[in-house]
Amino acid sequence: MASLGANTVAILIALGSFPVSLALTRFFMYWNAKRGIIGIDVHKLNRPKVPEMVGVAVPITLVFFAAIYAMVGGSSSIPLLAYALVVGLAAFVGAVDDRLKLRGIFKPLLTLLCGLPILILGLAFPGQVYTSTLHVPLFGGYHLPVIYPLTILVAVSVTSNTVNMLDPLNGSMAGGISIVAGGLLIGSLLVGAGSMPIFLYASLMFSLLGFLYYNRFPARAFAGNVGQLSIGASIGALAILGRTEIASIVAIFPNIQNSFFFLSRIRRFTEHRELTAKPTKLLPDGRLADSEDPRAPLTLVRTLLIGRPAAENEIVSTIWMIFLTSTSLAVITLLLTGVMA
Amino acid sequence: MNKPAVGYELVVFATQWGLMLFGFGILTKFVAPLNLLSPTLYLGLYFDAAAKALIALVLSLTWLFIWDRQVRFYFRRRGK
Repeated sequence: MASLGANTVAILIALGSFPVSLALTRFFMYWNAKRGIIGIDVHKLNRPKVPEMVGVAVPITLVFFAAIYAMVGGSSSIPLLAYALVVGLAAFVGAVDDRLKLRGIFKPLLTLLCGLPILILGLAFPGQVYTSTLHVPLFGGYHLPVIYPLTILVAVSVTSNTVNMLDPLNGSMAGGISIVAGGLLIGSLLVGAGSMPIFLYASLMFSLLGFLYYNRFPARAFAGNVGQLSIGASIGALAILGRTEIASIVAIFPNIQNSFFFLSRIRRFTEHRELTAKPTKLLPDGRLADSEDPRAPLTLVRTLLIGRPAAENEIVSTIWMIFLTSTSLAVITLLLTGVMA
Repeated sequence: MNKPAVGYELVVFATQWGLMLFGFGILTKFVAPLNLLSPTLYLGLYFDAAAKALIALVLSLTWLFIWDRQVRFYFRRRGK
């Protein structure tokens, strides 16, 4: 109960992320549209033009609020600095990819570097950024002095890319990851985690909700790689800083399945835009259906559409429900892991 | 919307979740305490860590293989 006050303050500060993200999203919608940074919503019959890279509002909000939280002294500034650098670097990689259209292999390679701030600051300030002990549900924990630091780089790369790969429909990523962040926030509160991860999960959730307002069906803003990669990196960084590693993996089960089946069919890192065999197709009545192309990857959306076409907003609601289930399992995982720092 | 497919997805997630906890249990209780190489040897600590990482990798690949079979079993039969 002693930390109730600190947690309340953390959540109240994080609440400010919502209006800031909302305002920044609105701003970038106009700014990007004016500069011709637009994409086409290919899952609509009239193929509307939608401002791209608007997801940049989320990493800006996250970094801004991490700085505010460090200034008000809510927590040690070193882990907050590590978090802000990871999110910022991933946003930079995403922005470069958005503008220059990098080859598929570069994104996982470049995002490997995004975890470096956690690793370097963790080595420079031992015990302040991460601990090399993995807490396992039901079975206790074990110390990984060699492997754990190396997995930090892989974790940030995997989470950022897997989040990047599951944003095919309006609001699917923003809604899904806000459910993940909200669930892990509740789980962290239940197990008595420190106020820093609680603040960061709350900040991520509220920022995403601000963006989702414009990204929901029918979307008026697209996240772009800049938004998707930074949001994914944020989940990876938070898993390490908040010591919610295993629960975070469980929460993003839908992303993992989607990426795994994509990669197992295509057998190389590639961009969706480069795919010749598409997993879904748009029907004349505006609904989406399985493309029935045997060469196309078995993505999560495709698995939901096999044999039965559906409207885009109906599919997105189902994806959110699937995220709600995986996040519930993640909260149980956190509870089974027990009280953390 | 293919509602049975959604239900099946949730069953797959629950199964994979259970298997994951079981796998981490194996790693915690049996693999982590092993002394595969003496830490006093030159680079012994690192080779020990690498050997355990390999075991963890094999378990992870098995876990993904089971996931793959479950999904393919259902969706390939329904779809084609």
